[in-house]
Amino acid sequence: MSAALSDEGSDQNDSQEDVMTPVELIAKLEEAWLNEKFSPDLLENKSEVVECVMEQLTHMEANLQRVRKGDMKASLHRMEIDRIRFVLSSYLRSRLQKIEKFFPHVLEKEESRADGDPSYLSPEEYAFAREYLANTETYLKAVALRHMPPNLQTVALVKAVPEPCLDSFVFLRVKERQDNVMVEPETDDQREYVVDLEEGSQHLMRYRTIAPLVSTGAVHLI
Amino acid sequence: MDPSEVEFLAEKEIVKIIPNFSLDKIYLIGGDLGPFNPGLPVQVPVWLALNLKQRQKCRILPPPWMDVDKLEEVREMERKEDSFTPPPSPYYMELTKLLLNHASDNIPKADEIRTLVKDIWDTRIAKLRLSADSFISQQEAHAKLDNLTLMEINTTRSFLLDSLNCMFKLRSNMQPGTSAGKALDY
Repeated sequence: MSAALSDEGSDQNDSQEDVMTPVELIAKLEEAWLNEKFSPDLLENKSEVVECVMEQLTHMEANLQRVRKGDMKASLHRMEIDRIRFVLSSYLRSRLQKIEKFFPHVLEKEESRADGDPSYLSPEEYAFAREYLANTETYLKAVALRHMPPNLQTVALVKAVPEPCLDSFVFLRVKERQDNVMVEPETDDQREYVVDLEEGSQHLMRYRTIAPLVSTGAVHLI
Repeated sequence: MDPSEVEFLAEKEIVKIIPNFSLDKIYLIGGDLGPFNPGLPVQVPVWLALNLKQRQKCRILPPPWMDVDKLEEVREMERKEDSFTPPPSPYYMELTKLLLNHASDNIPKADEIRTLVKDIWDTRIAKLRLSADSFISQQEAHAKLDNLTLMEINTTRSFLLDSLNCMFKLRSNMQPGTSAGKALDY
């Protein structure tokens, strides 16, 4: 049994195409989790990370199947699996909540993006959003719209559902130094000014200003 | 974010334990641990240390900063300075709570440490309230928050961000031509 568990660390590095170690992978997942939790808008999907983590978890669980009950090592591995699984599901759940909340905008953004651009939704999330849209439309029709006069029977969901508010404030920590980030004034009598974001420093500012930095990974939300 | 999630992140911090069992090196997804030998200190994440402690399989060594003299120094500094001093650990509050609740028999002068950490926390939160107040009254658009820990940010997050968003909504409604009624939660 120890052979089954102890070859864990070595053989998984080679089986992935890119050179990300499991440790880096978990760190990536946690960063994506926190970013998604705190950003007002839906971020790009990280399906490669999610898939790799899933692969790791299934692999580890398959190994644990072969271990007899009550083994100390196995129980430690199970605890770790539970912790990673928690982060993963919390991440996916916070994405689904945002999709439910902003579905017309999310779909519009996804459908209008250029071919080469990275997609915001994973195929499963896209299917979920489409279905949610269809169900909402059917529901509104069945409950209210069909009883309305004919000229009032359509509703534009894009206008009816609130957009994500990019102007909300977020807390962030800087990973790579950024010079001259423009800060827009709060009131008319203030002037705009620039700040330098030093590596490791923490800030409170509007999401709109630093949204591009979140997607490049130069800063992360806390 | 729920405080328990901040605690979850704090549980990734590393502490030293002295195990009373032996076990080969184990290869977790998040890194290798061990080997464990009775009586020899070994570094493990807090979540594992607490679990082993609950199963009475180890003794936890308090982290170096969790020491009455050092914490008294930090408390004095914190009271003297107007700005935030570097915290003893980025997760000092969570770790103190976790270790003192589950392993207080392994930590010398546990009660004094609890009081000191509470004092440091209270001083820092008072400063945080003051700076949040001036941030809002001066209508700033950017603040630098070095040395604040995640738990401290988290205690003020929902209140501060909601207020800022409400004020933004009120202000943008006063200016004609801006689109109002955007989602203001999150």
